[in-house]
Amino acid sequence: MPKLIVDGTEVEVEDGITLLQACEEAGAEIPRFCYHDRLSIAGNCRMCLVEVKGAPKPQASCALSVNDLRPGPNGEPPEVLTGSAQVKKAREGVMEFLLINHPLDCPICDQGGECDLQDQAMAYGIDKNRYAENKRAVEDKYIGPLVKTIMTRCIHCTRCVRFTTEVAGIHELGAIGRGEDMEITTYLEKSMSSELQGNVIDLCPVGALTSRPYAFSARPWELRKTESIDVMDALGSATRIDSRGREVMRVMPRLNEDVNEEWISDKARFIWDGLRSQRLDRPYVRENGALREASWAEAFEVIAERVKASDPSRMAAIAGDLSAVEDMFALKDLMDALGVKSIDCRQDGSALGEAGGRAGYLFNAGLAGVEDADAILLVGTNPRLEAAVLNARIRKTWLRTRLPIGVIGEQADLTYDYDYLGAGAETLSEVASGKHKFAQVLKRAERPMIIVGQGALNRGDGRAVLAQVVSAAQASGAIGENWNGFCVLHDAAARVGGLDICFLPRLEGGRNVGEILQGASAGDIDVVYLLGADEIDMKKFGSAFVIYQGSHGDAGAHRADVILPGAAFSEKSGTYVNTEGRVQLARRAVFPPGDAREDWAILRALSAVLGHTLPYNTLEQLRAALREECPHLAATDEKPDATTSELGDLAGAPKRARAAGFTSPVDDYYLTNAITRASKVMAECSALRTAGQSEEGTGTDG
Amino acid sequence: MLSDNDRIFTNLYGIESPGLRAAKRRGAWDGTKKFMQNGEDWIINQVKESGLRGRGGAGFPTGLKWSFMPKKSDGRPSYLVVNADESEPGTCKDRDILRHDPHLLVEGCLIAAFAMRAPVCYVYVRGEFIREREALQKAVDEAYDAGLIGKNNKHGWDFDLYVHHGAGAYICGEETAMLESLEGKKGQPRLKPPFPANVGLYGAPTTVNNVESIAVVPTILRRGANWFSALGRPNNTGTKLFCISGHVNTPCNVEEEMGIPFRDLIEKHAGGVRGGWNNLMAVIPGGSSVPCLPADTCKDMPMDFDTLRDLKSGLGTAAVIVMDKSTDIVRAIARLAYFYKHESCGQCTPCREGTGWMWRVLDRMARGEAEKREIDMLLDVSYQIEGHTICALGDAAAWPVQGLIRHFRHEIERRIDEYAANPKPDEAMVAAE
Amino acid sequence: MNFILQLFTWWNGQTLGTRFFTWRKGERVGEDGFGNVYYRERKGRRRWVIYNGLAEPSTVPAEWHGWLHYTVDVLPSEQDYTAHDWQKPHRPNMTGTTAAYRPEGSVLTAAERPAATGDYEAWRP
Repeated sequence: MPKLIVDGTEVEVEDGITLLQACEEAGAEIPRFCYHDRLSIAGNCRMCLVEVKGAPKPQASCALSVNDLRPGPNGEPPEVLTGSAQVKKAREGVMEFLLINHPLDCPICDQGGECDLQDQAMAYGIDKNRYAENKRAVEDKYIGPLVKTIMTRCIHCTRCVRFTTEVAGIHELGAIGRGEDMEITTYLEKSMSSELQGNVIDLCPVGALTSRPYAFSARPWELRKTESIDVMDALGSATRIDSRGREVMRVMPRLNEDVNEEWISDKARFIWDGLRSQRLDRPYVRENGALREASWAEAFEVIAERVKASDPSRMAAIAGDLSAVEDMFALKDLMDALGVKSIDCRQDGSALGEAGGRAGYLFNAGLAGVEDADAILLVGTNPRLEAAVLNARIRKTWLRTRLPIGVIGEQADLTYDYDYLGAGAETLSEVASGKHKFAQVLKRAERPMIIVGQGALNRGDGRAVLAQVVSAAQASGAIGENWNGFCVLHDAAARVGGLDICFLPRLEGGRNVGEILQGASAGDIDVVYLLGADEIDMKKFGSAFVIYQGSHGDAGAHRADVILPGAAFSEKSGTYVNTEGRVQLARRAVFPPGDAREDWAILRALSAVLGHTLPYNTLEQLRAALREECPHLAATDEKPDATTSELGDLAGAPKRARAAGFTSPVDDYYLTNAITRASKVMAECSALRTAGQSEEGTGTDG
Repeated sequence: MLSDNDRIFTNLYGIESPGLRAAKRRGAWDGTKKFMQNGEDWIINQVKESGLRGRGGAGFPTGLKWSFMPKKSDGRPSYLVVNADESEPGTCKDRDILRHDPHLLVEGCLIAAFAMRAPVCYVYVRGEFIREREALQKAVDEAYDAGLIGKNNKHGWDFDLYVHHGAGAYICGEETAMLESLEGKKGQPRLKPPFPANVGLYGAPTTVNNVESIAVVPTILRRGANWFSALGRPNNTGTKLFCISGHVNTPCNVEEEMGIPFRDLIEKHAGGVRGGWNNLMAVIPGGSSVPCLPADTCKDMPMDFDTLRDLKSGLGTAAVIVMDKSTDIVRAIARLAYFYKHESCGQCTPCREGTGWMWRVLDRMARGEAEKREIDMLLDVSYQIEGHTICALGDAAAWPVQGLIRHFRHEIERRIDEYAANPKPDEAMVAAE
Repeated sequence: MNFILQLFTWWNGQTLGTRFFTWRKGERVGEDGFGNVYYRERKGRRRWVIYNGLAEPSTVPAEWHGWLHYTVDVLPSEQDYTAHDWQKPHRPNMTGTTAAYRPEGSVLTAAERPAATGDYEAWRP
């Protein structure tokens, strides 16, 4: 524990931290541009210079370890000055150099108002300009449809380069040229291929890299900030929705060390333009084969007529991937009241939640637990597409410890090296029985982790695959007292919540998704209630009466006989449970458009028409009922420690699985749900990725 | 005046063959095995006692530098890297060693690497040195063939020597940038600490030495540390290669004793200043990066590290650039500023932005198109660069400008006045670029 | 009718006094496209216009405006001036009428308003 004196106060700091961190701990603010907690140290902006007593010149505090400081001649702690005249002069000098070639275009810069350079120039700069020469201008580069460049503003901090190479794991961004002519570019002006590239916008301390879809649309001080949760994947990354009036203007990441650190995936960040297109804003009723606008009362009447004419055993309900827990809870209560047994929240047809308790479908080690793991086996999952932020964490761990990683499933570029073990269930059974050599790797590891994705579970034999994964985990000692390395990686934000409230087929006579579809095709099911469920084959519903409640006009709305316009995730206050079982609250940022209503309220109103009025009138009452039934949902923002006692039940299932290889459930990263399919930005990204090569971009369009 | 039998580089001018046989006749590879049998510590002590200071410019004691290398490996190998990226304007001493006396360097590499327990040595040759690299490679091949270096060589110490060819960037002469370049990355200096002796090439302990520092070591061992330390002046011992260029009658490379008076050096070896001593205007005593000195201070100064440092200049690489009164000193320094602007790696802010600024202002000053207050501004900018950068290139860019303003401010002012009195309206405007 | 208007209002063409003055001293020099008639004093330097219908000064075209305000002395009819093809015909001030200028996005224009915050694109079956 080295001791040092910062501006006269003596502090004792952790071993090995940088002088900059030590100064921050001592309460002295150090300006910086290139330094970032989660990136390697570049030390090139020279803004963080401090005076170290005894050193001939000012030292870059971001690059100097406190252990490298030399004590005074009599052993007194090294003394650091952060506000001395020398430091002030050095900072002013560096700031002047940064500004001489920086265009003063703050009034037209999207970073204006949240710009590090702007703020620090105010705090540490001088108020006049001595530079009388011509300023440098740099041609803008095309680096993709998401990130817009105005390279004249670049101050060459190289945060973006370090982020893409270290965290995102793509070596596509770099600096070319020397001296004044140094430029940040993708070398060939092609678009970046990372799913995390949007984070460079946040990292850029100036306005050189800005959001292309958001360009010139709002100023940060106009925006209302609402804390929310990302629903594009099952990680539940912490986000902040910035809205103006009735419109979501952008989505930014929030800090959550346990989930997303401070990154979010591109889908989470750039989805907001999907929230304003293809919206369902009024009820529709199908008449003579065509949908016509209707009032809420009309729509409810039509539903009531069909429901009353039908038998509960001939009715079914399916919940979609983006539904909040409250919505599913209300639907479940309604269906229970009606006596409907065929309800399911697993529209991909996986076999989770039927046995094994809560630990049987959770990412038990926790997302942060990836960093403790010393061997990882990925089964039927491509985390880069299914959970990009988690993939970055695996890469981070791999960079640090070079832990062995095995993959069963698709062979894809995951941004880290791995052993490819095989394609499907037979390899998995070899690992489970200990015949495969990777089984020894897992066994030797102290904290092995097996991540099983929906690609392995959403098949007909998902139950058998799950059994093998559990027995592999048991065999390798992954499931123990202090460490549970059995991890299910979900790909839908609503899934764990649905399993938690038991939105599953009832024991006697309940049908799951596959059976509902089968029944509908065969004419055994009359009425199907879809709560935002779009990822199923709508043709299979045959002649059934389909009620679709959701926010976007997608597959479900096209097939529906009655459409009830609901709210998107940004328009309601909802609970989401992420893949590790963390209960998180997404708050309402804006109101639903047109006649659309919050989903639980629609269900409550419908229940009254159907004669089974749900026993809650407010969201609070609903939540109280929810927590009474599922007490563990009351503990928000905590990673649960699910009991492992029932996990063994899973292993007992039939172990014969089909030989076919596992495929990732996400084949197009940018188009995975109704909102993404409504987004023009996502469509452009998807087209670019499909085309493989970027269109020729000039970098100035946009 | 150094007597001929005290010269280390006896074939500096290429009169004899650079080959192995001729080199052996001149004394190279003589007793190498014996020195190595005396042990690593003996070699380092000899070098320490000789008082040899690094010949690359900074003048850090070589023996001390070697002693920083770990005595016991922690699993990582040690490396010796020889800096033959000689790009400093005015300097051409290493070039002649590579061309005409490469075996002294190869032998020095073996001994130095042995002393530092480094099984591998890389020689990083400047990109523009094509023939020099070929000459060195030839010598290395000869040494391999003769079993002097390589696996199972005559000296009983497995040692590999690789010649690496740079791509012609001045900044790769900075030791950590050279390591980056050797690793195949963009040549940009690293942050220090950690120093290369701790974490250097491929993360292993590394020592980077100048060609001349390494090449003199075998001779020091052969003739004894006392012989070397008896030459020169206290703390500035031994012989040194001086590269005399500019306005002298016979520009040359010459090996001389440290501390030789400037006047002797020029008179004896360079045939005197062009147009006589009264025609001398300024001298840059140590390569382009040190401040220039006006004629009256430098005529009789001893050429060594400490004296020149006290004169607020430096011996640097001992590349003496003599300028007579026909020189446009402002334009000359502006050209140097352009060089540093061009060679700045662009990594850290003060150097990237400041070198271009200084060049543009100096370029205007050379034409007189400036204001007098800008002289102080320029000086201030140079102080803002100096000491605020990752490597020493920022300092190297700032010092010539500071030297110019310190000693020739009157010249700049005169020019500004002249221009103000008679600006040339017919001259076409040229953009600052 | 015209006579009564001229007797009691000043904003229709001319008043009786002007009519008398014009008869006594006026020399008709020309007429513009709107039917406004221009006069000058036969012995003197007065110039005036008698509007065709409502007295609306902005109906005076630029060329007559210059003459009327003594900026030039050459009558537009005596100038050999041809209008450029990009010059639009003179229009009186339309403020207060339905043809008045409305900026883009004004609620009074029939044209579609520009995009604004809160707009969304609704799904249509």
